[in-house]
Amino acid sequence: MNSHIYQAPREWTRLHPVSPFLGGWAILGLLLAYWIHQYLPDWVDGGDEEFSFFDQFPLLGLVAAATLAFALTITVSYWQWRRTEFRIGDDAVYLRQGIVTRQQRQARLDRLQAVDVVQPLLARVFGFAAITIQVAGGQKSGVELKFLRLGDAEALRNEILALAAGVRGTADTGDDAPVTPGEDVAPASSPGLIGHPLERPRTAVAAAEEREVYRLPAGRLLGSIALSTPTLVLLATPVVALIAVLGFDYDVWGAVAAVLGTSVVAIVTALAGLLGYFWTRLNGGFGFTAGISADGLRLRHGLTETRKQTVPPGRVAAIRLHQPWWWRGQDWWRITINVAGYGEDQESVSVLHPVATREEALLAVWLVLPDLGDPDPSGTLGHALHGRGDEGGFTTSPERARRVDPLQWRFRGVRATDRALLIRRGRWEKELFVVPHERTQSLGLTQGPLRRALGLANVVVHSTQGPVQPVAAHLAVDDAVALLDAQAQRAREGRRRQTPEQWMSAVGLEQEATHG
Amino acid sequence: MSWYDNAAWISVSPRLITARLITLWITLGVLILATAITALLTQAAWVWTAPAALAVAGAWASWIVVRQVTAHAWAETTDDLMVKKGRMFRSVTVVPYGRMQFVDVKAGPIDRALGIATVQLHTASPGTDASIAGVPADEAARLRDRLTTRGEARLAGL
Repeated sequence: MNSHIYQAPREWTRLHPVSPFLGGWAILGLLLAYWIHQYLPDWVDGGDEEFSFFDQFPLLGLVAAATLAFALTITVSYWQWRRTEFRIGDDAVYLRQGIVTRQQRQARLDRLQAVDVVQPLLARVFGFAAITIQVAGGQKSGVELKFLRLGDAEALRNEILALAAGVRGTADTGDDAPVTPGEDVAPASSPGLIGHPLERPRTAVAAAEEREVYRLPAGRLLGSIALSTPTLVLLATPVVALIAVLGFDYDVWGAVAAVLGTSVVAIVTALAGLLGYFWTRLNGGFGFTAGISADGLRLRHGLTETRKQTVPPGRVAAIRLHQPWWWRGQDWWRITINVAGYGEDQESVSVLHPVATREEALLAVWLVLPDLGDPDPSGTLGHALHGRGDEGGFTTSPERARRVDPLQWRFRGVRATDRALLIRRGRWEKELFVVPHERTQSLGLTQGPLRRALGLANVVVHSTQGPVQPVAAHLAVDDAVALLDAQAQRAREGRRRQTPEQWMSAVGLEQEATHG
Repeated sequence: MSWYDNAAWISVSPRLITARLITLWITLGVLILATAITALLTQAAWVWTAPAALAVAGAWASWIVVRQVTAHAWAETTDDLMVKKGRMFRSVTVVPYGRMQFVDVKAGPIDRALGIATVQLHTASPGTDASIAGVPADEAARLRDRLTTRGEARLAGL
């Protein structure tokens, strides 16, 4: 992007000097509120007491106070920026920060789970980006660097990914080994750093080549938001009002007038929850694009705040495909994933596809699990998404489960392929879990008195923290025990052949990335 | 209908019953004493139903404690640690050693006085509930070391 070549700092370095000015704009919101109160007609805020807080102060005093607060925020941010430094080592990213309490953090690259380049609106306007490096250590364990120039942030991400992938190792043995030291080596800028091939081609590591796999059209995203519970609630409200008026002779207009009479702000506040939902769905899903590269999954999305996520191969611990009842006509699926380090933060980061068609849903599963370990992956997934009963080799709930699970017992099913466990449920609202065997943390078998009387049990698959919590409910006890045993065995084998943490030392990933 | 009956289960120490009963009856004892004193002071016969009810509840809870502790066991197979819990709501958790992130050994004052401890194995999943209460203290230390050694031998990232 830029003409200069960015090199990830090996020495302690500060972030971009503009960083302190990209935060602290909340104060402007306060000014905006004041302005609205001052210059817009009374009906907007109803002239109620909440805002009369401002009336106590003269305009000049308020402006002075706001300026002071703003200056203070900037000063503190500036000071924080002065005390925040980071550097890159061969095995870790180091960060030290803090004014009063000093904090040193070291994110080990072999534990790297994901790298995100995030651009909040303001940073985006000026071409800056923050970079977050997630390691497996639960929530808030990652390293967040904000802000850098967008180009620098991407170069840094590429370099971190290259280091974490173990490219350094292969470059040492592959490229440097045939060359006798001191003979044909180009006059490197620093000959003492022969173990640092970074000096040569990776001053600006090119992003691993990427192939786009799917892109979400804005129309479908809007359609999916239109077909959601909050919308239905919104639409149902007038109907309920109509029934109230016609059926029960209730004075709805009086009620509406009463609500409107208080203020528009009150109504806006009441709608804020709904609007917030629409906004997060829209902002998180806008322009959602998924691609595959040698560095793993690449997801990019966002309307005002954009986010580019890179999740290296083998970091996805579980997938959940979910279809609400009103998405059945279109056969749309919402796909979420568990990635250690992302934690519970679901809406912004743990989505693999906000609204997938059936074909895209299959593609999304393929992205995470290129080899499902089944001779007919699309057929099997088809049974998993829409099947019922035991067709497609699924183990289902026995008929006696009807007593505790009258609606869905016929639709519950479990099947293990060579690489993953598929758990299906749901008659009207459908759900499918896909858990790769090598990502299973532990397994549980549970049974309460009611299920015991019916000879049923639940098998729980413990995955890393995240929105996906797979459970195979209401299996016959014998099936459940057999599944647990088989699954423990499969997880054992899966762990044995899992891709190494340094994914580029794995063979065959590039070939897989180029087909399909 | 098997429920892993054939695994080499090691039951937890019966001293856990004592520990749990002590905790239970300390709480209940205070309540029973308070209600009994109230009954004595008010001289009303019906007030005696409160301490009586508490005593009955305590007896029932004690029976549950005994049943629970006798159902609590663990087994070490070549690759996994298995933990069994509960009678009414029973569960078996299978944790591969290679998935272990860290092991906790905890013992409160009553536990220490009785020479038992709680060993808990943590994986990267918050859902893994692999805690073994009432392991004899010396066995707890050995179990911890054994789990750590096996975990290292079979370490499997995340």
